[in-house]
Amino acid sequence: MAAELLRENFEIQGRNFDKAGEISSEIKVILKDLGIDASCFRRVVIVAFEAEMNVVMYAERGTISLILTDRDISLEVKDEGPGIPDIDLAMKEGYSTASDEMREMGFGFGMGLPNMKKNSDEFCIESEVGKGTSVFARILLDSHA
Amino acid sequence: MPELKHGFKIDTAKCDGRMYCMRACPTHAIRVKNGKAHLISELCIDCGSCLGVCPSKAISATTITLAELDRFKFKVAVASPALYTQFGLNDTPAQVGRALLDLGFDAVWEYAADIELVDRAITDCVKKWPGPFPLISDSCPVVVRLIQVSYPSMVENIIPIEVPREIAGREVKRRYSQELGLTPEEIAAIYITPCQAKSISILQPAEESKSYLDGAVAISEIYNDILYRLRKDTKKPKGDTQEGLMDSGELFHWGNPEGEFPNLSREHYLPLTGLTDIIKVFNDIERGRLTNIEFLECHACRGGCNGGNLTVENLYAARSKDLNLKANMPKPPPEFEKEVARRYAGEDFSLRGSVKPRSLAKDVVDLRERVMRRKRAEEVLKGLPLLNCGLCGAPSCKDHADDVASARTEISDCVFLSKARIDLLRKIYKKGPRASKG
Repeated sequence: MAAELLRENFEIQGRNFDKAGEISSEIKVILKDLGIDASCFRRVVIVAFEAEMNVVMYAERGTISLILTDRDISLEVKDEGPGIPDIDLAMKEGYSTASDEMREMGFGFGMGLPNMKKNSDEFCIESEVGKGTSVFARILLDSHA
Repeated sequence: MPELKHGFKIDTAKCDGRMYCMRACPTHAIRVKNGKAHLISELCIDCGSCLGVCPSKAISATTITLAELDRFKFKVAVASPALYTQFGLNDTPAQVGRALLDLGFDAVWEYAADIELVDRAITDCVKKWPGPFPLISDSCPVVVRLIQVSYPSMVENIIPIEVPREIAGREVKRRYSQELGLTPEEIAAIYITPCQAKSISILQPAEESKSYLDGAVAISEIYNDILYRLRKDTKKPKGDTQEGLMDSGELFHWGNPEGEFPNLSREHYLPLTGLTDIIKVFNDIERGRLTNIEFLECHACRGGCNGGNLTVENLYAARSKDLNLKANMPKPPPEFEKEVARRYAGEDFSLRGSVKPRSLAKDVVDLRERVMRRKRAEEVLKGLPLLNCGLCGAPSCKDHADDVASARTEISDCVFLSKARIDLLRKIYKKGPRASKG
């Protein structure tokens, strides 16, 4: 396993739509600072944004960790939310449990998880109903893709 | 990469180091050290925000003067539609065209055809585009450079279609070299520009090809000369149409905030002006939003090209004139339609070359070193006051921390950390008790 060069942890506050997107913006600034290549950058930002929105929409609170090695970038997302009863179903494009309110705000089209998976080189999700969900996504740096 | 050129220069002798430019720069590309402003070339996007704010008038645009055109045998003006919005409500585009001829141009180009052609090429490109969306217009050189510097992951969103002024330049050379038996080098295709950014896009196109145009003359440079001729020109606006001249400028819809692409559906097409708003929208695009928008027409100047920093007329007056011109726009004659159809079938409008992210100085070191620098910068930032006073010569404490971390400057340039810095600043900026320059 490649050595960890950088790890940054962020707290996400659930149900706070005003602040939604702030964490992924911070992540974006870090990646830009580090001069991460275009395609890897784009994918990490998309995964981070979707992950953050999922936590904001469904959970009370959560965390995102950004881990950089010289081969890849990983995102670890953990939340204290309702959990997902049927992960296979949740991973289908278009499947959504978003409320009307969420949809009115332009979210919850059932593309979040599938989009995260699509933009990752390695993706896994674990969930326990009533406890929460954790997602791990790894994206290779362009020079290693 | 060849040395980057820019659309303006800082006259160090005139610069009083007053930092207005440094604070105005949206990409934090200016530092003021030892009382003089200087540019971090690879961060500059040629927006010209620094041009208007300098109290010492030390920053000037690098456009060309009419006198420099004498080396050409035949000079053709390709006028930005913004030119025609600069004069009185009763001054017609044809009169402005006559004034350009009187100024020494041998012809005024019918730019409307090229605008229409590119409009069609864009519409076709959008329809066939496989993604990523939204496509972003490349007409404003500042927007293209902003993407290269600050949104490198979005270079693929820049529409790969030539801009109308380049298509015009190409056709000017082709037609007149054929008609007059001259070589393309003997013919000058000169853009009459509302901003310095277009002059730099001619000198050094972002897509690393060679421009078809030979230079740009600022609207502000020839404004007085044109106005004088308009007031002298007592000919009736209608009647003595020089061949084709009535058309130039009378049919246009490019370069204004409402710039319309009638063939693109309203809901999927977004016109944007002003860097602040553009940056907000680009941030959204970067995190994967707005993919339902197909085409963004972006102009860095608020109000579009009519608000360019080398225009003269107040933006709102110019816009009123613009609306007036559009309302009275004649229906295109059948010859115009025929000409557009003929050229559209025969010409290639795809962008020559491609726009790549600009390589920044920090990219030359490896990832490990970049991580180290970031950690160093974070440590340095903890010791700074976060007031962004700028007295260190960087626009913000964060910029100062970054500069220190990459060994471009000393941390002691911060006045909160070093009394010597204050003494030095006193020496540099000392004007004597109540002294003034004039």
